[in-house]
Amino acid sequence: MDKSSYTTEDLVCDGSFRNYCAGSDKAAVQFWQAWIRDHPEKADEVREAQRLVSILNARQGNVQEQLEQLKDGIARYDLLKTTIAGQPIPTKRRIARWKYATGIAAAVLAVVVAVWLMMPGRKTVSVPSMVQVIQSGNAPRKTIVLPDGSVVTLHSNTKLTLAEGFGHTGRELTLSGEALFDIAHGGQHPFIVHTSTVDVEVLGTLFNLNAYPQAGYTETSLFRGKIAVSLKGHPEQKMILTPSQKSVAFNQDGRIDRPAADSVWKRRSLTVDPVDHKAKEIAWVRSRIKIEDEPLEVIAARLQTWYGIPIVFTDNETKGYRYSGTFESETVVKALEALQLSYPFNFRVEKDTIVIGK
Amino acid sequence: MTEEEQNRIYWQGLRDGDKESFFSLYNNTYFHLVRWGLKVTANDELVKDCVTQLFFQLWDRRHKLNPVTNVKAYLFTALRRMLIDQLGLHSRVDAAITQLADEEALNELSYEEIIVRVQRDEEMKQKLHRAMEQLTPRQIELIQLVFFEGLTYEEVAARTSQSIKTAYNTIYNAIQLLRKLLK
Repeated sequence: MDKSSYTTEDLVCDGSFRNYCAGSDKAAVQFWQAWIRDHPEKADEVREAQRLVSILNARQGNVQEQLEQLKDGIARYDLLKTTIAGQPIPTKRRIARWKYATGIAAAVLAVVVAVWLMMPGRKTVSVPSMVQVIQSGNAPRKTIVLPDGSVVTLHSNTKLTLAEGFGHTGRELTLSGEALFDIAHGGQHPFIVHTSTVDVEVLGTLFNLNAYPQAGYTETSLFRGKIAVSLKGHPEQKMILTPSQKSVAFNQDGRIDRPAADSVWKRRSLTVDPVDHKAKEIAWVRSRIKIEDEPLEVIAARLQTWYGIPIVFTDNETKGYRYSGTFESETVVKALEALQLSYPFNFRVEKDTIVIGK
Repeated sequence: MTEEEQNRIYWQGLRDGDKESFFSLYNNTYFHLVRWGLKVTANDELVKDCVTQLFFQLWDRRHKLNPVTNVKAYLFTALRRMLIDQLGLHSRVDAAITQLADEEALNELSYEEIIVRVQRDEEMKQKLHRAMEQLTPRQIELIQLVFFEGLTYEEVAARTSQSIKTAYNTIYNAIQLLRKLLK
């Protein structure tokens, strides 16, 4: 039959077209991709046929697209394992050796030592049963071992507040800022992270949580295991994330990139860098800042976080300038100078603040 | 070689850490698993997520996996456990869980129930429900075999003891009607 006179019905009833929709037959996929390219006038019929096929197969999906997701997830997980292994976090390794060598009793002691080592400036070290606050300050990264054996890498200007009885009567903590969590399988207590926007319930896993109060959004990226994210005050509405997915919740009062009210909470795939195939969400663990077509206001918020210096604007127009680029081990001044080259603006450093204007 | 014999070879490959075997196993079993999951819970997103998660865990634990005689049955059981787990998280009081947790009481959803339930738009659900009522039981049976179970016209003809041409025409007429009703 001459396919160029195909109607929607003809397409739907064509077995090879269905195989193309399902991605189950390479030859069919190649044929129909070419056919659709060569017959742009049939675009409406093709779309309608795809819709009907999807309705009638109960949205079973396309096996090739699903497989790509799985491959992505595995690639990222492998990458993350090497990333973590390659991070200079000697404290973690030392703890790990002690823990495995001498058992759980020693682990509790090791945790106290670890917390003490990580906070040399602090005079007192809280015992695990009391409310405990861990801050990274201006350090770009800080890795700690929690009383339950979970390992957390804090981004700069990040604060973790462990709830009373953490590791004993429960495993709840509050995060302000950004951190990468590698959660130990925890027996009877679920691991729960509270932020100002969302609550994350963890079930033995590796994930990144970006919850800087000034960023306007909270992003939860999952690499391994599974987590349940719920919006603050709506524990009944849970979003279950599987590897290589993230949930993005926009703050109600967030001004930056704020979407329409009906899309305050979204499920998305992790963003893959087209060049190095790494997840953009944990670029910070890899010691670099990446910008992909983002407005200066957002970039400034990130620079502020990265370098630990407040950045303010004197006018609104500059905030909207958009840039792309990567900055590695550079100062905030160098980063801003590089941005000036592609789209000019002025900035000056006043006391402890950077001021950006036209 | 039967599909199951193939699966056993891929399974062995997976245990040896061979990624190609692993992906072939995925390609071989994906639609079986998704269909099976949809009959348990008509939530296509959840089912697809769980299939991905299941294979992700298989890969992560590849060196700890044991030899399996019936790979598909093993995967079905693992997917079922995962779905029960996830449904429990979605809503602990959902009556479906108690039903699911009880091996005996597991009722498969019918094809019409599944295709209506996976639609998210309420108006579309209604439309599809009414449209399916316009079809004859024979038309629904053939559409299920071809679109949902993924059979070819030859296989459908053999199974329903009719000619390929009759099977095709029955489906074609049904599609013509559905297209008008689902606009």
